[in-house]
Amino acid sequence: MGPELSLGDLRLTAARLVDKALAAGAEEAEVHVTEGTEFTVDVRLGRIENLIQAGSRSLGLRVFLDRRAAHASSSDLSEDVLDGLVRRAVDRVRLAGSDPFSGLPESLEEPPDSDALGIFDPDLSSVEPRTKIETALLTERLALEDRRITNSHGSSLGTNASTVILANSKGFLRDFHLTHCSLSVGLQAGETDDRVEDFWFSSGVRWTELAPPELVARRAVERTVRLLRPKKIKTQRLPVLFEPLMTSWLLEFLFSCVSGTAVYQKASFLAGRRGERVGNSLVTVLDDGLLPGMPGTRPFDAEGVPCRRTTVIDKGVLKNFLCDAYSARKLGLRSTGNADGGGVGPNNFHLRPGSRNAADIIASTDRGLLVVKTLGHGLNPVTGDISRGAFGLWVEKGEIAFPVSEITISGNLGRILADIQDVGCDLDLAAGLSGPTIKVGEMTVAGT
Amino acid sequence: MEADLFGLTKGDLERALNFGLSRGGEFAELYFESRTHASIRLEDDIIKDTAESVVLGLGVRVIKDGQTGYGYTSDLSPDGIRAAASSAASVAGGGVGPRASLLSDVIRGREQESLKAFSHAAPLAVKIGLVREANEAARRFDRTVDKVKVSLSDFYQTVLIANSEGLLAVDQRPLLRLGCLVLAAKGDRREAGFSGGGGRVGLEGLAGAMSPAAIAVDAAREAVDLLEAREAPAGEMPVVLAGGHSGVLIHEAVGHLLEADFVRKKTSVFWNKLGRRVGSGQVTIFDDPTIPFYRGSYRVDDEGTVPAKTPLVEKGVLTGLLQDRLSARLLGRPLTGHGRRQDFTCYPLPRMSNIYIDRGEFDPEEIIRSVKKGLYAQRFTGGQVEDSGKFTFSVSSGRLIENGRLTSRVKQATLIGSNLDILMKMTMVGSDLAFSLQTGTCSKEGQDVPVTDGCPTLKISSLTVGGSLGA
Repeated sequence: MGPELSLGDLRLTAARLVDKALAAGAEEAEVHVTEGTEFTVDVRLGRIENLIQAGSRSLGLRVFLDRRAAHASSSDLSEDVLDGLVRRAVDRVRLAGSDPFSGLPESLEEPPDSDALGIFDPDLSSVEPRTKIETALLTERLALEDRRITNSHGSSLGTNASTVILANSKGFLRDFHLTHCSLSVGLQAGETDDRVEDFWFSSGVRWTELAPPELVARRAVERTVRLLRPKKIKTQRLPVLFEPLMTSWLLEFLFSCVSGTAVYQKASFLAGRRGERVGNSLVTVLDDGLLPGMPGTRPFDAEGVPCRRTTVIDKGVLKNFLCDAYSARKLGLRSTGNADGGGVGPNNFHLRPGSRNAADIIASTDRGLLVVKTLGHGLNPVTGDISRGAFGLWVEKGEIAFPVSEITISGNLGRILADIQDVGCDLDLAAGLSGPTIKVGEMTVAGT
Repeated sequence: MEADLFGLTKGDLERALNFGLSRGGEFAELYFESRTHASIRLEDDIIKDTAESVVLGLGVRVIKDGQTGYGYTSDLSPDGIRAAASSAASVAGGGVGPRASLLSDVIRGREQESLKAFSHAAPLAVKIGLVREANEAARRFDRTVDKVKVSLSDFYQTVLIANSEGLLAVDQRPLLRLGCLVLAAKGDRREAGFSGGGGRVGLEGLAGAMSPAAIAVDAAREAVDLLEAREAPAGEMPVVLAGGHSGVLIHEAVGHLLEADFVRKKTSVFWNKLGRRVGSGQVTIFDDPTIPFYRGSYRVDDEGTVPAKTPLVEKGVLTGLLQDRLSARLLGRPLTGHGRRQDFTCYPLPRMSNIYIDRGEFDPEEIIRSVKKGLYAQRFTGGQVEDSGKFTFSVSSGRLIENGRLTSRVKQATLIGSNLDILMKMTMVGSDLAFSLQTGTCSKEGQDVPVTDGCPTLKISSLTVGGSLGA
């Protein structure tokens, strides 16, 4: 509650709360404030479905005493609520167990200048709601012009702007601003009882980075209609190709296996394997929090540790785990600037692209399956096992022959990393966690 | 009474509703939410962390010609409320809307005894004791138990809904969850097991089969059993779903596509099938938000509707849908009380609460005996469905069925199919209805809500199983 607060007021609130926590008996304290505005429009069949415009704030607090920890958070920034939150957190901290690894990061280096990172679009606030609504309407209309499209999930356009403030008892008090825009459209093709569906999207930090409606609509149509009239296939082992979005979910899974949290908990098949070969020489994986203008770029992480470029896998050799302060201490490493507020999160985590384009990789495949969509869970970081529902395109003599549905692909991430035979050049970093087209030598595809 | 209304008067609420209608909207609604959350996390035998969170806010919805405007704020001052109402109002292009009706007396839904004993008031030391009890029981279970994580979390949510048709409703919803994750190790092999319990109960709910020790032993047993499990087979085969946990299949494969927004948009494969046969005569499905103490239950939904047990499929015929106000109005169907939202920043959507396949006539033993070679699916890690009806779900542990008997344990398999197909292939439904752990959360359009699901032992005559074989 309470009246409008300026950035200066919010910085003061954060710094004052740190002081109050120390006065109440905490040895260390940290306060994180985010303030944001959201605009989202969903349109469907030429009309607005939802129009959301709002602003919100939230505050998070950590206190430490004798290597014990307590957390609190609130969306209500009124003084009496925050005072109560601090008091109770300091009371609670005494009930926690003493953990030699807990506490704020040791020494904080100077973070980079956030203005130079290009993560805020100052012109976004001047884009009229009307323009955003019309962009969404146009995207859907262009997609529906294709007669093979039989229904629409609608088109959405969203923009966000937020401010992050971090203060702690080591004298850290900084803020930065972020913007993000996205445009998407979801479609169906075919008749009710044998429909197929897919979508496409564009996203970026700046309004001008959004792909034109024509392009988003065309890609969504192509992706949807290529799934029409699928065939079933027999269970078999064969080469499997992953489109960039599919490589992204493999990387998402890989991230969960190199996150310091999973590693110290021994909940990752890569635990204890730093310095070892875990993939072949085509595999180089980086997490780069400083790439200018990218959605995962930040000057510092949720604990104030500067973001950086970390080589996770270098030509197949596991070099580093990604850590926050806690998991780093547990593993005897240093934080890599990947604290995300609740644990460890990716910055711009990606597989380094190769030189071949996707079309050449397909053309050089005699027989295989190109995975274009997956459905469900079925990932086990403890073992690296993958078993997941999928949609694909059958590749025969270098060409796409027909769509395939009701299959599951199964394998193991460790064996996939050792068996990558080709890495494409089509990496799109704007997707955040991302990878290019890849070809894996052999996996099990279960069908009928 | 005043506390119920978030410190506001009926007059304040009516003024805000009229402000929402001031640009020509037909319907306006206020959703006030106050929520506290407390949690405890144990790992490596120590209490790692305790946390508390406070959420307070308002969401304002205005509807004009089926179009929704939404604004939200955590600033509940008169200016904050006006700003949120003004954002929502802008969906209507202008003109004069109706005046809001005067608000009725408060609707509270049916009283439930246990909802009087709230765990959020219990001393932290007592809750820490329960967490330690679970940890110790898991540690004691077997010497292969290597790592134990326990979390206890309790929410207490108060909502107030007022709309321009004069409705005024409140609900108080406790939500308790104890979760236990166990890793077991033997040689090079590591496996995980999970179990949990809770619901809309106080700490007294963590007793019997849901006592901290029972939950921990259940999780530890799964992890330890998996150490001996074989890779699952792959291919098309009969699948028998164990009662209880298998409810996730009904949730994913059927429930989502009976949510009325997908039906009115005609994106659901069920949109043209009301009154038609969609499954075998053995299949009857209900969604019931009124089951006492269940995680998915509530006394009024997030639009103020008092919910009822809702038949969806009766003896194989599609007879009902899960409705929120907007879809019910656009489809000309009655409300069912399934309008739910994650929090005040979200507009309501038609959602499931506690969905289940009703008990059938077969003895569970007889169902297993009828299968020559197939998979018995026991535990799941989740699932997903497309509007087209294609679904997958992930089996974390199960058994092989060979010549009518349960044999080797198997791990990690994925089931994939299309929903109309499997509903028709549910050829035997058991008499042993059971519900899943009280830990489920369902995601839709980025909104998470607590749910429960259930089913008896049942046989699907043929389904594609993607095993972990040959990886």
